[in-house]
Amino acid sequence: MSVLGRVRARPQATAGVALTLPVAVFFVVFWLVPFLAAIYLSFTDYEMAGTPNWIGFANYERMFADPGFLNSAWITVVYTVCTVVPTIVLALLVAVPLSRPGRLNRRLRALVMIPAVMPLAATSMVWVIIYSDRGLANTLLGLVGIDPQSWLTSSDLAIWALVVMVVWKSMGLFVIILTAGLQALPGEVYEAAAIDGSGAVTTFTRITLPLLRRTLLFVLVISVAGSMQAFVPAFLLTGGGPADATQVLPYYIWANAFPYEHMGYAAAMGMVLLAAMVIVSALQFGFLKGGDE
Amino acid sequence: MRAGTILRTVWLIAAVGFMLLPVYAMLVVASAPDDTDLRGLVFNGFHLPENIGLLFGEGNLPTYLRNSLILCVGTGVLDVIFSAAAGYAMAQLSFPGRRVLFALVIGTLALTPMVLVIPVFLIVKELGWVNTFQGMMVPGMISAFGVFLVRQFALGIPKELLLAARVDGAGEFRIFARIAVPLLKPALITLFLVHFLAQWDNLLWPLIVANEQELWPLPVGLANFQSEVGFNYHLTTTAALVTAVPPFILMVALQRYYVAGLTFGGLKR
Repeated sequence: MSVLGRVRARPQATAGVALTLPVAVFFVVFWLVPFLAAIYLSFTDYEMAGTPNWIGFANYERMFADPGFLNSAWITVVYTVCTVVPTIVLALLVAVPLSRPGRLNRRLRALVMIPAVMPLAATSMVWVIIYSDRGLANTLLGLVGIDPQSWLTSSDLAIWALVVMVVWKSMGLFVIILTAGLQALPGEVYEAAAIDGSGAVTTFTRITLPLLRRTLLFVLVISVAGSMQAFVPAFLLTGGGPADATQVLPYYIWANAFPYEHMGYAAAMGMVLLAAMVIVSALQFGFLKGGDE
Repeated sequence: MRAGTILRTVWLIAAVGFMLLPVYAMLVVASAPDDTDLRGLVFNGFHLPENIGLLFGEGNLPTYLRNSLILCVGTGVLDVIFSAAAGYAMAQLSFPGRRVLFALVIGTLALTPMVLVIPVFLIVKELGWVNTFQGMMVPGMISAFGVFLVRQFALGIPKELLLAARVDGAGEFRIFARIAVPLLKPALITLFLVHFLAQWDNLLWPLIVANEQELWPLPVGLANFQSEVGFNYHLTTTAALVTAVPPFILMVALQRYYVAGLTFGGLKR
């Protein structure tokens, strides 16, 4: 290191520490310590009143005999698969033609942003009305001659009512992300494909999809993670009901932790959810990395 | 026009129309004089101003709106300040603990709030912050996303520029404030927008930490709205519409930054 470099190193170190100190303290107090505390709590019988007692793996054993947990875990799997797959497929079907240049497309792209920025809380209230007895869902069904349904109070339909709303809500967002990804693809490749007489479907599967892999991975990872920790739709639309039919795992964890104050048990379920999320993201990265070579 | 072009245009208009249908239905029901017609297909007069007036006149909506604005602007500004400082330092300065801090920030990106809410609630309770604004604001004040976003952006600041300022005798804090911050402006606007929108929609944390109605932000207020106005469908919809307006205004004003924030991480970096 030169003399000048050595002279300059100290103020840099001071400034670096000073500028990052608030963030470092924040992440230790509100992320690292809580994370370690959550691990500890998951091995205790802590309820809001009283002190935590170490009970080993009892919470984890309890989970796998708890019908409420098993039901929630299964509903979360169904909910995640059934929201992620249709959202991405539909978003791609819209984004591919929408990313082409043109005045109409530019206007449509602006319109897609409207559902994308709707707050989830507001969206949920609107869909409560859409699903009400005299609401839009039953009106549209009536047009094709199907009897009105009680969307949110039927234990068979409620989960699908939730799924449709979430697909609608996420679609706008993903159309925007995918459109941006598609517009960033190199145009020359498409010109070459057109000269070679490549059809629309071939161009899509052989050129667009592989080039878009990185954006698709991003969309997949955030939508899977989003669905696995989704709390708001179940809370606002159905309150986990009817008869636990929409009690996704985040809702069950919240209900155990706060209204019921089974904090130790809820922390253990949180750990299982976290482990599942880490494994699923690792699989996604591995799967799409595999395509890189 | 070729058949393919026509087909594509029809599909796009149908798809976007379908995506806008619930928004349209919201506008129709929110403008209704009462809740006899909930189909949301045909306007039955335009009573939106009266409905909004009614909500602002006697309901708690103004309180919720005020609380949401305090929460979102307050934590948004703090996130921008702290993330700007930390992100810049992590990208451009060498100081002890830089790698550890980076690992800490990246590590938190993988954690789900469902794991953290319980112990964070206990910490907030210990601090005596239950049912306070600081209790709602401080735990969500800084986001790993923000620090990471600024860091990635700050890596693009030319080293020569900073070196030249140092040779000229400028102090490190001065360099940060006078050279780095102006260059980081696009990233900071994006961060504020992303933070605002996320916080505007945050239901879980205020629900846990604030059980006094005076403190509720809009999502918690909306969740309890039906009981408040006697389960009045059209006024609930008007309240939902009011909740959607500020994010919509921000999006229109800052569209470019919004797309940048959404696609950060999705595109090449």
